[in-house]
Amino acid sequence: MRKMLFELSGTAAVAELLDDVVPKTCDAVWEILPVEGMSIHANWSSREIMLHLEGDKILRLPPEGPLRRGTTAPGDIIYYWRSPQMSRGKQLAYSAAFQRELSEFAIFYGDPSAGGMAADDPVRMGRDSDLQVQTLFARFIDTPQAFLRACEEIRHEGLQKLVVRRLEE
Amino acid sequence: MSRIKITLGAVEAFAELDEEHAPATTRWLKEALPIQGRAVHSMENGREVYLVLDPSQPVPDENQTIYQTVGDLLVYYKPAIFVEPEWPRHVRDVLVVSFVYERDTAIRGISGALATNVVGTITDGLDGLVHEAPRMRREGMGQMTIGPA
Repeated sequence: MRKMLFELSGTAAVAELLDDVVPKTCDAVWEILPVEGMSIHANWSSREIMLHLEGDKILRLPPEGPLRRGTTAPGDIIYYWRSPQMSRGKQLAYSAAFQRELSEFAIFYGDPSAGGMAADDPVRMGRDSDLQVQTLFARFIDTPQAFLRACEEIRHEGLQKLVVRRLEE
Repeated sequence: MSRIKITLGAVEAFAELDEEHAPATTRWLKEALPIQGRAVHSMENGREVYLVLDPSQPVPDENQTIYQTVGDLLVYYKPAIFVEPEWPRHVRDVLVVSFVYERDTAIRGISGALATNVVGTITDGLDGLVHEAPRMRREGMGQMTIGPA
């Protein structure tokens, strides 16, 4: 299995790609690494930080793998894409590029982890709707307490730089 | 009707307390003022900002709703899992005073909607909160004070 390193505020965590479950998504993610940006804490999905993908790193991938029915666990890393028409108004906390369309890594670092109320919306989950993609493509396998604390700190201290890179041994 | 002032970072807003429908909670709140602390942004409910309160004085359930709306001033017991990971393990909920500053907000418990006491409505200054709260999400949460108007 290929691995990724997540570097945040002087801490680091390791995740394993789910190559055997969602190989196309994993290949696409692997191709754009390293990715870096300012991560923001969720305000609907509990203990989640997001890394928005922009510029030449933006991914618009089709769904892959088992249908997820709103179930999310701490340690899950999800490729998430939402079409522009799925969010009304503006997301003032996001930078201008992400106020409508959203392409991101959704990084669930702790308990509770949940996709928010929208995660239970059958229309958004539907494979034929082309409105939202949420593919579980990696799982943390090593998350030091300092990394988890750094994730939580984003909620209180504001955006922090997150770098995701290939971990090649 | 009593008015209170909410100061979040650099902006001020004003709310009218609903003493008719939430007499016990508004009485309790007025006695507790001023309240000050570092604001916390909701991570589970959407556009909500809150302060954790001293829970020594129990607050009764009254004037409740699960259909919160923009401008609502709320007092309720938030499940502790949404507060801090280091919270003492025996604590199951914490008393908070919060406000809803934007649409697409629903106060949640562990498994669904959570009923909250509606203690007032923000009548002035909501526009300032609409911009200050997202700014704090990006730049760090600042101080919040709730006091008499």
